[in-house]
Amino acid sequence: MAAKSYNISELDNKLADRRYHLADSNPEFTQKILKTSRTIANMCYQCGTCTGSCPSAPRSSYRIRLFMRRCVLGLENESLTDPDLWLCTTCYSCTDRCPRDIAPTDVIMAMRNLAFKRDIIPKNFLQTVQLIYNSGHGVPNNDVNRAARTKLGLPADPPTTHTYAEFIPGIQKIIDHYELKANADRILKGD
Amino acid sequence: MAENTEPRIGVFLCHCGTNIAGSLSIDDVVNYAKTLPYVAVADQYQYMCSTPGQKKIDDAIKEHNLTGVVVAACSPRLHEPTFRTATREGGLNPFRFEMANIREQNSWVHMHGMWDEATDKAKDQVRMAVAKAAKLEDLIPKSVPVEHAAMVVGAGVGGMQAALDLASAGIKTYLIEATPTIGGRMSQLDKTFPTLDCSQCILTPKMVDVGRHPNIEMMTYTEVENVEGYIGNFDITLRKKARGVLTPTEATAKGIVGGGCNGCGDCTDVCPVIKPNPFEMGMAPRKAIYIYHAQVMPLIYTVDFDSCVKCGLCVEACGEKKAIDLEMQDEFITVKVGTAIIATGFDLIPIEGKKEWGYKRFDNVISSLEFERLICASGPTGGHLIRPSDGKTPQAVGYVLCAGSRDNTGGVAKPYCSRFCCMYSLKHAHQMYEKIPGCKVYLFYMDIRSFGKAYEEFYYRIQNEGAKFIRGRVANVLEDPETKNLHIFAEDTLLGRPVDIEVDMLVLAAAIEPKEGANVLRKKFGVSASQDGWMLEAHPKLNPCGTTTAGVFLAGVCQGPKDIPDTVAQAEGAASAASIPIHMGEVELEPYFAICMEDLCAGCGMCVNLCPYSALALIEKEGRTVMQVTEAKCKGCGTCGGFCPGGAIKMQHFTTPQIAAQIDAFFAGGVQ
Amino acid sequence: MHEYAFFLGCIAPNRYPGCEASAIKTSEKVGIKLLPLKGASCCPAPGAFGSIDLNVWYAMAARNLVLAEEMKKDITLICNGCYKSIWEVNHILKHNDELRDNVNEVLAEIDMQFKGSIDVWHLAELYYDEKICGVQKIKDSVTTPLTGAKIAPHYGCHLMKPQKERHFGDTENPMWFEELIAALGCEPVQYRNKMQCCGAGGGVRGYDIVHALDITNEKLINVREVGADAITEVCPFCQLQFDRGQIEIKEKFGDVYNIPVLHYNELLGLAQGMSPQDLALDLHAIDCTPFLQKVL
Repeated sequence: MAAKSYNISELDNKLADRRYHLADSNPEFTQKILKTSRTIANMCYQCGTCTGSCPSAPRSSYRIRLFMRRCVLGLENESLTDPDLWLCTTCYSCTDRCPRDIAPTDVIMAMRNLAFKRDIIPKNFLQTVQLIYNSGHGVPNNDVNRAARTKLGLPADPPTTHTYAEFIPGIQKIIDHYELKANADRILKGD
Repeated sequence: MAENTEPRIGVFLCHCGTNIAGSLSIDDVVNYAKTLPYVAVADQYQYMCSTPGQKKIDDAIKEHNLTGVVVAACSPRLHEPTFRTATREGGLNPFRFEMANIREQNSWVHMHGMWDEATDKAKDQVRMAVAKAAKLEDLIPKSVPVEHAAMVVGAGVGGMQAALDLASAGIKTYLIEATPTIGGRMSQLDKTFPTLDCSQCILTPKMVDVGRHPNIEMMTYTEVENVEGYIGNFDITLRKKARGVLTPTEATAKGIVGGGCNGCGDCTDVCPVIKPNPFEMGMAPRKAIYIYHAQVMPLIYTVDFDSCVKCGLCVEACGEKKAIDLEMQDEFITVKVGTAIIATGFDLIPIEGKKEWGYKRFDNVISSLEFERLICASGPTGGHLIRPSDGKTPQAVGYVLCAGSRDNTGGVAKPYCSRFCCMYSLKHAHQMYEKIPGCKVYLFYMDIRSFGKAYEEFYYRIQNEGAKFIRGRVANVLEDPETKNLHIFAEDTLLGRPVDIEVDMLVLAAAIEPKEGANVLRKKFGVSASQDGWMLEAHPKLNPCGTTTAGVFLAGVCQGPKDIPDTVAQAEGAASAASIPIHMGEVELEPYFAICMEDLCAGCGMCVNLCPYSALALIEKEGRTVMQVTEAKCKGCGTCGGFCPGGAIKMQHFTTPQIAAQIDAFFAGGVQ
Repeated sequence: MHEYAFFLGCIAPNRYPGCEASAIKTSEKVGIKLLPLKGASCCPAPGAFGSIDLNVWYAMAARNLVLAEEMKKDITLICNGCYKSIWEVNHILKHNDELRDNVNEVLAEIDMQFKGSIDVWHLAELYYDEKICGVQKIKDSVTTPLTGAKIAPHYGCHLMKPQKERHFGDTENPMWFEELIAALGCEPVQYRNKMQCCGAGGGVRGYDIVHALDITNEKLINVREVGADAITEVCPFCQLQFDRGQIEIKEKFGDVYNIPVLHYNELLGLAQGMSPQDLALDLHAIDCTPFLQKVL
């Protein structure tokens, strides 16, 4: 059926076709999720145990069951552009209770990986990347803490990359291998 | 057929519609078969099992003077008997037939994009079958007489029905029950769906019929100890567990005239030991000398020797009837039957294993069978539904359907549908509205499977009565420590909203599993289990009552979850199937038994110990020790033949030359 | 003495150094020696890195694992988030050839190779493990029993879940942490929904702070309901969420709890006679003084 358009944005919005068409589905999306999540995401039968277990569901519009459904149907756009994708605390309660033995949490992680490939990612995630790239730590040391450490008889900096900075280039090499830092910088600059 | 002539083999390829022809080239295989040694004719047909297909075999045997027939089609489990008959119709010994399974073992597993490979594999299979067919011999099946008696193991509604049918068909029937009374699970139920008949009211007359049928020998508190023999001639040893109480008949036999248990119950009144009654799911007490409930059949008390303190008060109370014998021991008796039916039923899974629902952790989370007893007029509360924590009448009750069913996580959970939980939960909802006006009922479901006759209408009725159906599986349950009320967390998937529903009581429609001990029992009868743990029928569609052990049949839930109508129907089917060999009077045994070639046998006897069927023995013959096969006991498994160091054992229809020819044909490959 | 490479992570050494100091000192008293894992980095944060690119997460965690492989020591750690990264990546790479090969390709660039030669343990599980330490040994090490205190246990998520891949058993109502707490002389209390998440994980704390705090708040309500004097956990990130979270909750929602939040190692340190100063409890956002007065 030809797409309709009334050329009146208000009407086009109000009367937009809400049906689900085959063209909305990308079977490859399901396959990619299966591979990345390493769980049988295609086997969901929509019982809702996941949402019922989810600490985020009662306080938001986030429905993990809905993402599972989108995964089964290959609804890539709808999955990756939904801001609720980032409300999973990865508590794995759904995974422990899923009667199909699926790990919905890992499906969410796989979708987030795929979203990042399309530059869809909350800023705070990228800031963590930058911190680790520069110091090896996602939560680096600070002066107040150094003073406290000294008082406890600990070295001012822990025996991690903070003390052994010679390990940082290796870490940067790993991150650069995946071009993560460059992408993070680029996406953050674009914001 | 003369043995010394050159073999002449006919090969027939079956298309099986597109089941086979859709995955490999039938023409190629037929043309290839024509090039094989001894092949006199090769042909094909769309459905070889059809009448025209079978006629092709019949005609070809006559026209080409064949000595052997090969059909390349489906599994021999399905159609070997069909083609053997066709072979016999054509004038050959039916064991001159060999089957190549090019469907289950070829086309079905190589369905996509493997046309050439599948065709080559079919050629290999046909070549091997032809090689064997060239060496097949005439075999004559033996007939054995069938004992005019049957046994039914398990006296629930299925076992009772099967026993009644067999007995009414004039067959002496032993009805074996492990617990002290017949009746089974159905006697624990209050009402039955969708008709709402009182379960006891429709079951008790049947129990009475069983008790007084002249052809039924009812043996309660009895278990199968050992099974020997084969169809027509099973020798089954029974363990009559020490009941501690004599029936009037047993008393009379011991010379206590007019004695034995008359069910008066004086003994139980004086017994000082109190234990939970398993019939009431532990929610009511019983004594160490007890009956399960008032309607037991037979009305004979039983001593629980695990908890009896042997104080002797009951013996005193029983007085002159002298029915109680606290020193009674288990007895073993052996009976001979022609056929047997297993009807052992089910248990609920230990649903406490699904920790998120809090069974055994929260007082007011109960199982569906506990609910049955609590709502049952003859139950521990006289049918007044109360909740365990405080004895109050619950005003809001939740039901978790698929509690451990359709659950692939392992542990106590079961991947299958338990098939009757939807319907009894609907019934429970109805009973709530019937007994507690104004109550609230929430059913948490994934799908409502109301597939039976008048079931969907029952669903409609319950919805109309006000039950709230929430389409979502319960994620977890929390208890309010003060009120002991329960909070049910789930998603109403149709609303797309998480729910937190507070109820007074929660009923778990727990999945079912084979009765404890069923696995041990089925092995005694040589019955397999399917992957899900239930007993395996001979064919899921065409032989649902039979098993792979000839003469042993299945009835009811032991074969897979079923409701009462399906159980009774299968029981009648099993009874009918079990009566056929008995009425025929004799059965033919497959001639696949081992034969000892006595001149080669050194009499070492190693095979005797290896035989899983106790079919072999050493005998003295003409001054030598040789092995002898009891043909009727031998199942032709080949264990002895494979082991015999002297090569003295011939496995009929699977002889060393026949198998060697198949192996040679496989390795030789191509055109020979 | 059982020796382990001590993987620090970020929040323990850089925000709650008392966790690090107490881990080193308390473990030594029960026969566990913690050796510095030199050059370790962030685990890296499973929520952030896992969400961006699991392959980077595997490789970065593998680098930390290789450092310990080179020491020929099993790793122990005191943070559930670190456990998720270090234990799980170790487990995955040991069992998945394809992923291991991919990771080793990257590690080869920095002359490292993941061999899968060590195991990873949370210090709390070593404490509970009869073969290493056990509850009785913890009990025996206590010099100052923390009597009179009601403690709400918070297990956290990533130590025990997903249950199938871990080895801690039941995740609906576990009781082993309660045993460890009771060993210190205090009373572990049960509260509504004790296995619920703290709210911080998966990057949600950074992405939508009020959402994360609302989850935390629900837990705090449940903890207050049973009159707990303090919360204890085995994860500095959960600790941060409960401790600093209470200040943020006060700011954003106006709710005030003042329930101190202590890592189990800090609690154990107190019970073994360490002073509050030895534990830098003054760095906690919620004042521990009333609690300390009650138990010491």
